[in-house]
Amino acid sequence: MKEVATEVEQHIQVHTHDGVALIRFNRPEKMNAIGAITRQQLGDAIKQAERDDAVRVVVLTGSGRAFSSGADVTEMVHGAGMRTPEDVGNVLRNEYMPMLVRLRTMPKPVIAAMNGPAVGIGASFALACDIRIGTPDSYLLEAFVNIGLAPDGGVSWLLPRLAGTGIAYEMFFSGKPLQAADAHRLGVINRIVPAERLEEEVRELANHLASQPRNAMAGAKRAVNQALESTFEQALEFESYLQEAQAASAEFAEGVQAFLSRRSAKQG
Amino acid sequence: MIAAMGYEHILLELEPPIATLTLNRPKVLNALSPDLIRELTTALAELDADENVRAVVLTGGPKVFAAGADIGDMADRGAVDQLRRDQTGRWAPLAGFSKPLIAAVNGYALGGGCEVALMCDLIFAGETARFGQPEINLGIIPGAGGTQRWPRSVGKYVAMEVMLTGAPVTAQRAYELGVVNKVVPADMTVALAKRMARQIAEKPPLAARMAKEAVLKAFDSPLTEGLASERKSFYFLFATEDQKEGMHAFLEKRKGVFKGR
Repeated sequence: MKEVATEVEQHIQVHTHDGVALIRFNRPEKMNAIGAITRQQLGDAIKQAERDDAVRVVVLTGSGRAFSSGADVTEMVHGAGMRTPEDVGNVLRNEYMPMLVRLRTMPKPVIAAMNGPAVGIGASFALACDIRIGTPDSYLLEAFVNIGLAPDGGVSWLLPRLAGTGIAYEMFFSGKPLQAADAHRLGVINRIVPAERLEEEVRELANHLASQPRNAMAGAKRAVNQALESTFEQALEFESYLQEAQAASAEFAEGVQAFLSRRSAKQG
Repeated sequence: MIAAMGYEHILLELEPPIATLTLNRPKVLNALSPDLIRELTTALAELDADENVRAVVLTGGPKVFAAGADIGDMADRGAVDQLRRDQTGRWAPLAGFSKPLIAAVNGYALGGGCEVALMCDLIFAGETARFGQPEINLGIIPGAGGTQRWPRSVGKYVAMEVMLTGAPVTAQRAYELGVVNKVVPADMTVALAKRMARQIAEKPPLAARMAKEAVLKAFDSPLTEGLASERKSFYFLFATEDQKEGMHAFLEKRKGVFKGR
């Protein structure tokens, strides 16, 4: 078990095993609310997971009942760091933005294991992951409007793409949750598993992805991210170049050999 | 492929009719030291004179194009030192290179590195490319054409943003601004630039040279002068064997073979 920041409160736990980095919000008594220390530690954990070649798959999850209840509002009002409106903007720009961008662009799969509610910036973290696995009691909530704020943390971009504008607006305007079953039906959550099975199911998926050819998966992620910013023709062109690079790779050689000799591929 | 010897800070691959120059100081992110600049400009002068070379790719390899000048080497210099060394004036063989020159940019192209890219004729950017002029953060300004070539490419306002904030622009934004020709997967940037170089190398070299000259003329002459110059080049090309070959090949529905005569 590798632990981030032992000298202060440990708001984030990181556990790397067999190519899977498990990053866990670790403030169960506060429903994994995100404060200044959390942001610092989470930023480090995400950066480290991206850089570490031994990490092939990243899982983001919560401890206790929630995935994350979002920004630590008590701290916003009384604590250090976020007192002026400008502080709010700066935290978004300078702290959350790099983390969320990193999750969406790091060349490895990122899975959100939604053990419970994901609220506000917590929902942003879940939505910025590539894949979401939920439990029946999990939900996504854009609670900003309830305290007189507009959406942030990338949800104005993410939710319309994942759920459509109608659902996104309803969530932003009403401040009501998108329950797991609805999120699943809409494709926002890939699947729902019983709470007691979540860890095992996610572990199984993560292990499987960790055995897949990493550059081929990274290519898929690059292609999707590129496509989200381009026309159909540009996407086709980007794919064709990406495939050209991948067709020259050891991964492809091994994949084809394994296929022809009817064995399973061993990807390094 | 022939790798020419004698260079320490760059790699030169001669694959006629193209050549590839790679800035090769990866440990210092291809910082543009005086030695590197000397080698690069020497190699460019050689390639300009080599009739077998018709197009050139300039790259920094898969990770970084060039993250600027050697700051350690500059920090304590005076104005007169800088003037005497005239480091930025030494780029003439690059700016004045007569053949098509394609930059293949991955990762950072900052400061002098960005200016080097801007001196090329086409820019292929890997998705990881970042273009910027961070000089202002060091209390200076770009000195190898950045303040002049940016506004000519993107207009005043974006150029000001680039100069005054020192913040780099992404490959995608650079593409949208028209500073790069194509954004491609980073692992393919050099290969695609070479492919483009080979395509261009099949064109009649004198026409390519005149076309390049004419376009560059657009940046520093009034329209009437540029048009007059274009017209002269246009007529001049009718004096070349390649024009005869090109037009007859077209009429005969075959591919022209050009000699640069």
